[in-house]
Amino acid sequence: MKVLVCVKRVVDYNVRIRVKPDGGGVVTDGVKMAMNPFDEIAVEEALRMREAGHVSEVVAVTIGDKKSQEQLRTALAMGADRAIWVEHEEAIQPLGVARVLKALAEREQPGLVLLGKQAIDDDCGQTAQMLAALWQRPQATYASEVVISGETVRVTREVDAGLEVIDVDLPAVISTDLRLNEPRYVKLPDIMKAKRKPMDSYTLPDLGVELPPLVERLETTPPPARTGGFKVESVEELVATLKEKGLV
Amino acid sequence: MDFDLSEEQQLIYQYGDQLAQRFDRKYWMENAATHRFPTEMFQQIADDGFLGVMVPESYGGAGLGLFEMTLFMEGLANNGIPLLSLVVSSTMSLPLIARYGTEEQKQRYLPDLCAGRTKFCFAITEPGAGSNTPEITTIARKSGAGYLLSGQKTFITDANDADFALVVTRTTPRSEVTRKTDGFTLFLVDLKAPGVDRAEIDIRVPMPESQWQLFFDDVQLTEADALGEFGRGFDILFDTLNPERIVVAAICSGLGRYALGRAVEYACEREVFSGPIGAYQGLQHPLAESKALLEAASLMTLKAAWCFDHNRPTGEAANTAKLTAADAGIKAVDASIQCFGGNGFTGDYGIYEIYPMVRLLKTAPVSREMILNYIGEKVLGLPRSY
Ligand SMILES: Cc1cc2nc3c(=O)[nH]c(=O)nc-3n(C[C@H](O)[C@H](O)[C@H](O)COP(=O)(O)OP(=O)(O)OC[C@H]3O[C@@H](n4cnc5c(N)ncnc54)[C@H](O)[C@@H]3O)c2cc1C
Repeated sequence: MKVLVCVKRVVDYNVRIRVKPDGGGVVTDGVKMAMNPFDEIAVEEALRMREAGHVSEVVAVTIGDKKSQEQLRTALAMGADRAIWVEHEEAIQPLGVARVLKALAEREQPGLVLLGKQAIDDDCGQTAQMLAALWQRPQATYASEVVISGETVRVTREVDAGLEVIDVDLPAVISTDLRLNEPRYVKLPDIMKAKRKPMDSYTLPDLGVELPPLVERLETTPPPARTGGFKVESVEELVATLKEKGLV
Repeated sequence: MDFDLSEEQQLIYQYGDQLAQRFDRKYWMENAATHRFPTEMFQQIADDGFLGVMVPESYGGAGLGLFEMTLFMEGLANNGIPLLSLVVSSTMSLPLIARYGTEEQKQRYLPDLCAGRTKFCFAITEPGAGSNTPEITTIARKSGAGYLLSGQKTFITDANDADFALVVTRTTPRSEVTRKTDGFTLFLVDLKAPGVDRAEIDIRVPMPESQWQLFFDDVQLTEADALGEFGRGFDILFDTLNPERIVVAAICSGLGRYALGRAVEYACEREVFSGPIGAYQGLQHPLAESKALLEAASLMTLKAAWCFDHNRPTGEAANTAKLTAADAGIKAVDASIQCFGGNGFTGDYGIYEIYPMVRLLKTAPVSREMILNYIGEKVLGLPRSY
């Protein structure tokens, strides 16, 4: 079985995000970029499936500008077998990404598509669900455990009420949550091997997909600066203050 | 000219960010406080294939150059987790064995070293020969089919944890050579051999490694323990002193960046009068100036590594890198400490503790004065005063 793992280039989670002075998005120039952490977990899970013998090939895919190839290289260095780069300069939105992924899924015929539950830049958390709908395959989102058995996969999902366990038929779409695994380190010999692994590239016309922006961003503003705290004298005062502020 | 790092080089540079997720500055400091060797972190680095960056693949290494070694070391320091043991082993000893060792020596040492099963330290300095290396008196005298090594080394990093030492020794006494740099040979010495003794030096710089005096009392060596051409040890030495300066420069820039990162975060948050203290130019400008100097030094460091890898003369760039990076690192850490006010001196914030290491690297492995001597005499052609 082949697994398609989707990765996105985002601002590194350690970076303090700054809004551009004109409010047109956040500053990315000269800022450290990295693979979306949830996607790293997805890559790791795919590799573990391959190591356990359930999967024969792990294919990493990204949609983005030339620089996003770096994140594919990271996925290859972690151990993915090959990569697909879909060239696209402009910003991307969940439905557009889902359309591209559907086109790739039809070409590649994977048994499983793994994605992060959300990307830490826009925090949309929609791509996996949209892909499953377009591709007309089952979905299991927010996975914290994934067990493959034959033609089905048992997924433990982290939902508001606790943990939900579901079985889905393969091929399926799974989105990964934080506690699914701890991604491996990139080893130096693997970094060097990654250089020689194949990377195919497509343009949107190649895939017959158009990505007209469906959402218009009006403005980006930084969150209000945190105001300093203050001390209360007693438990009674604390409770009274919390009530006054409508917090309890 | 191309200043872009390849994807591979970027991953190598970012390795420290990854490693720091598991072995962070706090882990480093815990070990540094007691000079405990950070075995777990070292083994992880070994498992990830970074000990033998500069060793050919056929001997278990990665077959890359000093440029990549420098990126790797700077990446660790960017995260506040530098290791001097990687200077003496991975930067100095391993590449030297790979370059000058016999096939037998390479087979015997390199695969184990790359896997982290054994370690090397590098012994040059003596009580009477620090800046003035040709005054070394440790000597290996012919005895039967082999040699007997006797003498004393000092400040040897990691000599307790290391299995072997690369020892710079005379094989002809100073009085019998015409040029003071003649008559040196490098020996691969087993530190478990009879006649080797050591005593710890009380070093007050927080770091996981410790420094030792090494005593050699008629330690038995064979011809096969000599590295490279007999009597020409001094020439070989320069193939390792420049790399040492270059990676030490990388450590300085990285630590400076780490301190700056911490200071910027604090200065954006801390409010004393109105608004964050980072807006005060009294604090902001020293940080900005340090940033500029660090990046300039870092660029010079990469240039020096590039020169070395391309067999170009490396002395000028290596010395310039070490000078500017150590100065910039000290300036950056000092400016950072200042932002923290009193908190800068507490264990909770752990900022002051960055200072001793960058300050050490102004003196060792080669002092600021000796670097300026080099630039004054060798680069500018000025007369020598000593
Ligand atoms: C923590 C630590 C780790 C070390 N690790 C190692 C190691 O692993 N292996 C190893 O071999 N060595 C090691 N060293 C030794 C280090 O390389 C030496 O300390 C350094 O080279 C300086 O030599 P010295 O201590 O003898 O100082 P000296 O040579 O006595 O110098 C004293 C001062 O005089 C100045 N000076 C000397 N000559 C001149 C001159 N001509 N012009 C102007 N100024 C001059 C120097 O710059 C210095 O400021 C280490 C040292 C330390 C502190």
